Amino acid sequence: MLMPSAATKQQMPVQGSVKLKRGGKVQKDYTAYIMIAPFIIAFLAFGFYPIVNTLYLSLTNATLMSRNYNMQGLKNFELLLQDKFFFQSIVNTWKIWILNFIPQIGIAMLLAVWMTNVRLKIRAIGFWRAVFYLPNLLMPATVAVLFSSLFDFYGVANQFLVGSLHVFSEAMDFKINETFMQGLVAYIQWWMWFGNTLIILIAGMSSISESLYEAAMVDGANTFTMFRKITIPVLRPVLVYTLVTSLVGGMQMFDIPYLITDQRGSPNGSLMTMFVLMYMKFKSSKGHIGLASATGIMTFIITAVVALIVFFLLRDKDELALQKDRKRYKKQQKIKARGGAAK
Amino acid sequence: MSNHVKGNTNEDLRNRVSLAASRTAVYIVLIFIALICLVPIWLMLVNATKTTSDIQQGISLIPGGNFFNNWKILDDKGMDIPRGILNSFIVSGFTTVLSVYFSMMTAYAIQVYEFKLKEFLKGFVYFIVLMPTAVSIVGFYQYVAKLGLLNSYIPLILPAIAAAGSVFFAKQYLESAIIMDLIYTARIDGCSEFGIFHRIMMPLAKPGMFTLAIFAFIASWNDYFRPTLLITKQEMYTLPLLVGSLRGDTYRQELGAIYFGYAISVLPVIIGYVLMARQIVNGLSLGSVKE
Repeated sequence: MLMPSAATKQQMPVQGSVKLKRGGKVQKDYTAYIMIAPFIIAFLAFGFYPIVNTLYLSLTNATLMSRNYNMQGLKNFELLLQDKFFFQSIVNTWKIWILNFIPQIGIAMLLAVWMTNVRLKIRAIGFWRAVFYLPNLLMPATVAVLFSSLFDFYGVANQFLVGSLHVFSEAMDFKINETFMQGLVAYIQWWMWFGNTLIILIAGMSSISESLYEAAMVDGANTFTMFRKITIPVLRPVLVYTLVTSLVGGMQMFDIPYLITDQRGSPNGSLMTMFVLMYMKFKSSKGHIGLASATGIMTFIITAVVALIVFFLLRDKDELALQKDRKRYKKQQKIKARGGAAK
Repeated sequence: MSNHVKGNTNEDLRNRVSLAASRTAVYIVLIFIALICLVPIWLMLVNATKTTSDIQQGISLIPGGNFFNNWKILDDKGMDIPRGILNSFIVSGFTTVLSVYFSMMTAYAIQVYEFKLKEFLKGFVYFIVLMPTAVSIVGFYQYVAKLGLLNSYIPLILPAIAAAGSVFFAKQYLESAIIMDLIYTARIDGCSEFGIFHRIMMPLAKPGMFTLAIFAFIASWNDYFRPTLLITKQEMYTLPLLVGSLRGDTYRQELGAIYFGYAISVLPVIIGYVLMARQIVNGLSLGSVKE
């Protein structure tokens, strides 16, 4: 009788705690802390401490070889801000990320709308999803060197364009064309990630109730209006999630721009992303880890600031207002309940 | 409505035709994009089975018979592929076990118990999922070097205990998988809290753990950034590092062997995916939405 039913499962931990309060709550608390301890300790050791250490190193003139190094304030950051390569790396990173993200979200959205459309009734959705997602599972290092091989001077792309299609009369040297290589890296990022985004969008869309669309159709809404007024608002949290995770990953882009050419961001530094630059400073003959740390910290600041702006701009104002209302309502209910009991 | 009742067959027919036309168009686009996804992969697999001169002669999508010979060429040049596979399996295997076990445990604690840090931890896990942790790689490197753990798998494996993404997924999963009645009953029967987790929750959560394991394994298997900083001894190279070195001068003339190296690094994942695509795709949908 006292056992909560399956329907109230969501609230059960709370009910559990009420029970725990009577018998040995201290002991249960203690269990929870033991259970989360490994996570906390490992996070402090491998997540938190490295960040602190990086922050500290960024304020020093440490190199890989030197045993002793000194604090030198913000000098590394000053150096970075005067460094035209640093600015180039920021521009490169953003350019490649945006060139990949817009088609990624666009095509994933289009495919998701088609694949969930009730009238179209596309068959074998599981199969299509599985195929589109496959590139995401491949090793980025392999994908980078694979595309590098395909676009070699004597590679498959030239064989196809010159030998089979006769688009060009002679082989193209893709690897020296800055715009082409940036586009290629963006294309590879798109190739690897649109399937992932597609699956997330489909999952989000299939949670939208059929009846919403039916009601809209009765009211004479067309497909585009329904998409704008129903699909997009319901998908908003999913879209924000996709945008932010893609941004965070994109700012850290490394494997593909690093491995696709000469591991220095060639041609002409056009593939030098912020992480490639950080790694180059780290691996340089002097091994400026102080400067490399500062590059990492700057990447973090840029990412965090932009992510926060995105969260702020795209926050759901209606939802926030609704939550406030709900809280207020709950409080009132509580006060009422107490008052009722007292009487 | 009245139009429909009258049976405006002309319009009906036109609708049906236009639906069929758009359906065809959609299928054409789907097939086109599927080809975009598959052709580069297929080319890589096919080229791995061909000789260098075959590859240079032109594009063909039909496999050749030079697979094992390509392996031998890499071996002769000093690239120990089986060793790389073994190294990768060691790192990814341990990483997977640690990350699944501890993520489940952390998520279980957050989900089932009431404790002071609970709300904080929930938000905190979400926060570190979104945090660009790799920016601290230099600090990580310097401190690993101080501890004398360069060229060791320990700094690649142990951070898996605090895999925030896995905890996040595990929490999502446990929300619907935990049956509190079972926990109460077990407590009444005198089962210890850890006993409940190990003997009741873990067997119940097997499907979720399986999905977690797949994603943890693939992430570790594909990781290039951390190993390339921490591992410099050739005999300790994992597969991504071997693949990265295939672009070097040593192998320049050996196209078939290069493609063989590429193919072998992704084949285990592709085979696993062909066998378990449904679970993997469903797992992905489960983990990312809701929040």
